[in-house]
Amino acid sequence: MFKHLFKLSWNKRKQNFLFLSEILVSFMVIFAVFSLLTFYYLNYTLPKGFESERVWSIAYSRNVKINDNDSLRMYYENIRRTLKAVPEIEELSFSSSNFPYSNSHSTTGFTYKGKEMSPINNYSVEDDYNKVLGIKLLEGRWFNKEDLNQKSVVINQTLKQAMFGDEPAAGKIVGADKEEDKWKVIGVVADVKAEGDFWPAGKSFYKRLDTGSFKWVGDILLKVSPKADAAFESRLNKLLARMIQNSNTEIRHMEDTRESKNSDTIIPMIICITIAGFLIINVALGLFGVLWYNINQRRGEIGLRRAIGATGSSVSFQLVSESLMLATLSIIVGSFFALQFPLLNVFNVAASVYIIALLLSIAFIYLLVILCSLYPGKQAAAIRPAIALHEE
Amino acid sequence: MLKNYFKIAIAVLKRRKFFTFISLFGISFTLTILMVATAFMDKMLSPSYPDYKRNRSLYITSVALVNSKEGWYNGSSASFYLLDHYVSKLKIPEKIGIFTFSGKANAYVNNKKVVMEYKYTDAAYWEIAEYQFLEGKPYTKQQIDNMERVAVISESNKRNYFGDIKSVLGKYIEADNVSYRVIGVVRDLPRSMRNFYGDLYLPYSIIKGNYKDVGLQGGFGAVLLAKSEADVPKMKAEYQQMISKVPTNNKDYDKIYVNADTMLESMSRKLFGNEDSAGISKMIAIVSLFILLFLLLPTINLVNINITRIMERSSEIGVRKAFGASSRTLVYQFIVENVILTLLGGVIGVFLSIVCIFLFNQSNILPNLDLSLNFTVLLFGLLICLFFGLLSGVYPAWRMSRLNVVNALKAQ
Repeated sequence: MFKHLFKLSWNKRKQNFLFLSEILVSFMVIFAVFSLLTFYYLNYTLPKGFESERVWSIAYSRNVKINDNDSLRMYYENIRRTLKAVPEIEELSFSSSNFPYSNSHSTTGFTYKGKEMSPINNYSVEDDYNKVLGIKLLEGRWFNKEDLNQKSVVINQTLKQAMFGDEPAAGKIVGADKEEDKWKVIGVVADVKAEGDFWPAGKSFYKRLDTGSFKWVGDILLKVSPKADAAFESRLNKLLARMIQNSNTEIRHMEDTRESKNSDTIIPMIICITIAGFLIINVALGLFGVLWYNINQRRGEIGLRRAIGATGSSVSFQLVSESLMLATLSIIVGSFFALQFPLLNVFNVAASVYIIALLLSIAFIYLLVILCSLYPGKQAAAIRPAIALHEE
Repeated sequence: MLKNYFKIAIAVLKRRKFFTFISLFGISFTLTILMVATAFMDKMLSPSYPDYKRNRSLYITSVALVNSKEGWYNGSSASFYLLDHYVSKLKIPEKIGIFTFSGKANAYVNNKKVVMEYKYTDAAYWEIAEYQFLEGKPYTKQQIDNMERVAVISESNKRNYFGDIKSVLGKYIEADNVSYRVIGVVRDLPRSMRNFYGDLYLPYSIIKGNYKDVGLQGGFGAVLLAKSEADVPKMKAEYQQMISKVPTNNKDYDKIYVNADTMLESMSRKLFGNEDSAGISKMIAIVSLFILLFLLLPTINLVNINITRIMERSSEIGVRKAFGASSRTLVYQFIVENVILTLLGGVIGVFLSIVCIFLFNQSNILPNLDLSLNFTVLLFGLLICLFFGLLSGVYPAWRMSRLNVVNALKAQ
């Protein structure tokens, strides 16, 4: 059966060449789109890892004219105390500018046992940071007063998996070879999807802000109570302007930044899907037309088949399987190219994404070809042998 | 002769309506996408409100300090000191406008939050950028020197902050607890005009904090305006010579990169280039590769359909060949037919593009970005059409011209 089908297609390899290349190119397009969608979907199903509801961020410019480290610390500790005393503010933490959804990045990297670990997101945080964001602790502990002037670090699940696998990480020493870059892991936290709901958390490194860092820190994160409304925000803004001299302050709600971060992903995705969708409709119509025409060309052959006893359904089955045969050839070639992506680890995306996308695209192409050849096949089944052979 | 071909082409199109529909659908849809994309590019690159002098402007937007031994890199925008002390000494530029990149400030009106992007500028900025003033006028050099707290605001900012009132001149607007007297209102511009966008324009002399520090990096940018387009290369050369003499004054870094780029250069540098090269050729290569790949699928589809249709006409071809038509005539005829078909698809494509652009402008996905189908875009569309017509016509025509007369006639 297969041998027969293959022979039929092979005999017409010249005519089928364009048909094959068309399916091949559409297969690659579909594969690209499905890879993207699978990547986003798999990330979307992962937990967010923290709570962005009722979290506000304050960005302030550092125009205070205090050069002495201790006085600067006093100045900002005073701001902290004042803010803490506000009843609507539940938790508060100074943070480096790369908090979730902030569009700011800071990365570091090192090799561990010969394995390249970069890029690692480098967060500088305080003791209450995990309470503000509700980050879940999986192992060990979060920072506290004991970590003053200690080289302690909290890592996230992804980095832990990459370095230690399933072994416990607390107490291990990580970092670059140089002595001053050695850090002691004190805890492991759940992954925080800081780039929006559709992107993976990546590897993360949390360090404690030290006493000298008020020179460069410019952000405060707040967890506010449900009572905090626009009137409160206006009061807070006034309070900040009074406390932080000479500064421009900006209050943002993390839920809003999350939405805009997500739409940065969703809008290009929708454009992509629309364009690919139109391309596929285009291809489907083309395939349909060509198959239909081919069947009309083969009226004589089909008439003969019917005359020597083939049933209508077996003729239409034969035509559909012929197209599937051609599709299979294209898919084999296409899969060869597609498999290079997981093998070469292109774009550093997990192999499972490509494999799922590959399976989906194969199913999609088969479905497309079946749909396009079903109607022409039915037409062929309706050919009456007497009329078809009479024409010949 | 052409008239005859035209008649035949229309007759063939009418014969198999389904195939005609497939061809036209493919052509017009592909063209629509390309035309909308070019309308975007055109909007980004060619002069538009308020930056009408783009063709004779160079923009300084970033300063990079590099330690070539350790590979350290520190990128930021320029400092006021660098622009004021070095760049403004240039002879060739007619005008030099200095501005900061916008930052955000909050204001609260009746417990409603208003977010504005503030931007500090000098006086020359207002002469280079041709903002449309709905009321009032920009601040002058005199007002900047006097450190007056005056502001020019955008139309949308006026609406958000003051509500629906006729004139706001002389009223006070408060941002971050500082009040500024409004002296002008300008028409809104799209967010994509990164160098010019703002809701609240203020004199640079009243910046909070110290902007006069002796360093190379700060929050500033500049636009250099040449007297004519022909002067731009000269201006660039003078700039390069001057900037190569600027000392880094920083022991950690031994090299500085400050580029004065045209709009196209600064765009390609951001996407594909680095400090040394603007990456224009790389951008052209990547973009054309992408367009080619995008065109591949509809083209193969069209070739496929064309071959099918041509084989359908084998008897006609056979008869014409039997009566002495040369292969060349037939190929020529078929290509003309195909070009007519693609042009027809092109007309539909233009119509669809107009609809798409209209819908895009209505939807306000990118506020104030009004795309338009201008002459350049139309010309580009026409070229794509011809390219399409030739590409998808040549191979089928070649196949057809090789048809054997006997076989072609026998097929009947």
